[in-house]
Amino acid sequence: MRWALPCAALLCLVALALTGCGVAVAGRASAQTAGRVVQVTERDFKISAPAQLGTGRVTLRVHNAGPDIHELLVARVGGGAPLPLRLDGLTVDEDRIQAATLGNLEPGAPGVTRDLTVDLTPGRYVLFCNMYGHYRGGMHMQLVVN
Amino acid sequence: MQLTPAFRPFAARGRRTVIAILATLAAVSGGSVLLSTRATARSQHRAAMVEVAARQRTLAERYVNEVLLARSGAQADPGYTASILEQSARVLLAGGEAPEVNGDDDEADVTATTDPAVRGMLMQQQRLVHDLAATGHAILTHGSVMSVPLTADEQPPERNPVDRLRVLAALTGNVALNASRTIATNTDHNVTRLITLQVTVGALGLLISLLLAWALVAATRRQTAHFRSLVTSSTDLVMVFRGGKCRYASQSVVHMLGRPERELLADGFSALLHADDRALAASMQTSGEPQQAVLRVLNRFDEWRHLDAHVTDLREDRHIRGLVINARDVTERVRLEDELTRQAFHDGLTGLANRALFRDRLDQALARSVRSQEMLSVLLVDLDGFKQVNDTLGHDVGDQLLQGVARRFDEVVRPADTLARLGGDEFALLLDGAGETQAEAVARRLIESVSRPLVIGDRELTVKASVGVVMHLGGHGESEELIRHADIAMYAAKDSGGGAFRIFRTAMAQEFGQMLELEHELRDAIENGELKLHYQPEIDLTTRRVVGVEALVRWESPRRGLVSPGDFIPLAEATGLIMPLGELVLRDACRQTAEWRREGVAAEPFVTWVNLSGRQLSAGGVSEVVRRALDDAGLPASFLGLEVTETAIVPDGAAGERARAELQELHEQGVRIAIDDFGTGFSSLGQLRRFPIDVIKVDRSFVQGIEHDARDAAITANLVTLAHALGLVAIAEGIESGGQLASVRELGCDLAQGFLFARPVPAEELGQVLADGDFSALIDAPPTVAGI
Repeated sequence: MRWALPCAALLCLVALALTGCGVAVAGRASAQTAGRVVQVTERDFKISAPAQLGTGRVTLRVHNAGPDIHELLVARVGGGAPLPLRLDGLTVDEDRIQAATLGNLEPGAPGVTRDLTVDLTPGRYVLFCNMYGHYRGGMHMQLVVN
Repeated sequence: MQLTPAFRPFAARGRRTVIAILATLAAVSGGSVLLSTRATARSQHRAAMVEVAARQRTLAERYVNEVLLARSGAQADPGYTASILEQSARVLLAGGEAPEVNGDDDEADVTATTDPAVRGMLMQQQRLVHDLAATGHAILTHGSVMSVPLTADEQPPERNPVDRLRVLAALTGNVALNASRTIATNTDHNVTRLITLQVTVGALGLLISLLLAWALVAATRRQTAHFRSLVTSSTDLVMVFRGGKCRYASQSVVHMLGRPERELLADGFSALLHADDRALAASMQTSGEPQQAVLRVLNRFDEWRHLDAHVTDLREDRHIRGLVINARDVTERVRLEDELTRQAFHDGLTGLANRALFRDRLDQALARSVRSQEMLSVLLVDLDGFKQVNDTLGHDVGDQLLQGVARRFDEVVRPADTLARLGGDEFALLLDGAGETQAEAVARRLIESVSRPLVIGDRELTVKASVGVVMHLGGHGESEELIRHADIAMYAAKDSGGGAFRIFRTAMAQEFGQMLELEHELRDAIENGELKLHYQPEIDLTTRRVVGVEALVRWESPRRGLVSPGDFIPLAEATGLIMPLGELVLRDACRQTAEWRREGVAAEPFVTWVNLSGRQLSAGGVSEVVRRALDDAGLPASFLGLEVTETAIVPDGAAGERARAELQELHEQGVRIAIDDFGTGFSSLGQLRRFPIDVIKVDRSFVQGIEHDARDAAITANLVTLAHALGLVAIAEGIESGGQLASVRELGCDLAQGFLFARPVPAEELGQVLADGDFSALIDAPPTVAGI
């Protein structure tokens, strides 16, 4: 009985600390989505997404099916020419297409789904992963917006 | 059910708490160290893994270069690099020892990881390594690169084998690098988690320890408070002395002595002590010896309180370092004890010492006398006439009289002398160091002190004191014997008439001893029937007939022979034996008279006269005794006459009144009353009138001188005239000669009694005496012969 009070106080403290952490985690998980949602799946070494989309704001819900880490870049391309490569011949020169890049997702761990919101205007676009060797390993696809 | 004591010793509980605190801290520290050790070990494995994984990228690129060099004919060994790549990929997945690369790297132990993401990447890497090696091999053997099956879902451009090889190497390197980064990141997270965990555990341990410590402090505080209240609320006074000075005094002193604690500090307590107790207390306060003593301390109201003090030596105890005195107020107990002692040694009525204390003091004085050869005297005082006061006025008056006498005595003795009441009306006085002259002076003062009447209520009472004095001239002595001797001397004083003192002489003891013996024998004699009645005739001088007898008691002792009434009657009166003796005489006389009456020896008017003692009269109840004797014998009251002396009826007050009433009652029933030895007492005529008297007996002392002494003759003549004037009969006693007979006849006596007519004879001889006696001849004969 003598220790009941101190023990109870201790338990309360621990419980409070734990719930505090939980709240913080939950707060980080909330994200804002808007407009249409389009499923995009990345895997080694392929990107699957609808080939055609309407104009306007669209949210790309990007799921990395792994097993490697992947990123995603969306760039508007004219005339269907291949993207310019860096001197190594293996990665896209992002600086040269910076103006045409609508958005990108930094490298993400396998199994994780992330959103990327872009405003699409009619034209041709490329979705690709520019991790070392991935672009040329097959991770790119064309998207036409009407 | 076992009850837990309300109060547990501090040591046990305190130790447990301290152990709990230490255990908590040890558990926390141990856990922390264990976690750190394990985490460090794991980190080392991870570091090796990161290194091996990262190395794969370099190896993959080196492989590409070596393939190209080999194809162009340069010296290179791509096969070796491929085998290292494949071995490393396998080790990263399954764990084990990673291969060294041309001696550049140390051997590294790798533990298989369980992280599914990392494992996925490593498996992909293994597949890519396989594809890379297969493609490289195809290039070197000039096989078809395009026909090499790819296992990792890669879709490299097909037009250039070298591009394909480079892409595969890039993919391999990238996934290997990603795996190593993930491992590193995970390790970082682990470290962060570990730090967080350790901080949390440490904080929890600290918190628990603080709580325990807090509980410990609380318990300590509670116990200290508990002790403090025990000490302060206790009615006992607790003091601590260090170096002989009072360093602490508990609050109870306020209640006990009405003084604040600070007044006792330093030398305060010692200053309040009784001077006689200071040395003792000082010894207790400095050395702890004696361990217990009753000390007298002055309280706020300047009263002495008795404190029962106990010392506990805690000089070795580092918490106290002093002597602890526990003191309890035992004043009431001491008072009670004193009172009980006083009661045990004092007489409750007068407050004087009692017999026990007197004996004690006397024993002590005698013991001193053995050494000092100093004299001492013992005075024994008895009050004459106290018994009558007690009998007639009641015990209350008697008690008050004793108190008054005690006060009077107390006024005339020195404080150093021991005055005691031994019991009843017997007082004793011990004069330590007093000689005979002083003892005599004190005896006189004692007697004189009660010579003035004592006022008890609305009465004035007078008693006389008889004092027996015994001297002890120093040396050995027995208190018992001294008291006995004083008693004998006192008895002698009483015997001489009272109101006087006698100093004990050895001869007295002898006399007294004989008297005691006589008393003892008399007691037996009454029981054994050695006492016999003799009867002496009384002659009517006119009719010359015997008209009565006087019953006279005779004691025929087998040892002493015939004992004279003059020897044993006073003794019987003094000892109270007169009561059974008197009753015996009455019953015998009545029985005998009744017999004579039946036999015709005694015919009316015939009266048997029985002497009644003053003591019998004053004790009361005589009429009842007489009544019973008459009834038992079946004798008419008119045959019985009672002779009383003047002194017996003189006492004034209730006793005299009662005696008179009883005589009156008997007289009315027909019993005759005579005044014996008339003329020798001091009866006033007025008193005579108040008593129911029939007969006056003229004392033999007048009769004996009647022939030759004109004054005796004149007195006798007057007594007879007085009797006749009051309508009473006059008897002349002790007629021994014809001359005396002639004289009394001449003076007008009605009856006569004496040896001239007949000696007292046993009952059985009386008939003969009456038959033989020619009293007419005697009466008429000329007064010439004196018969015996």
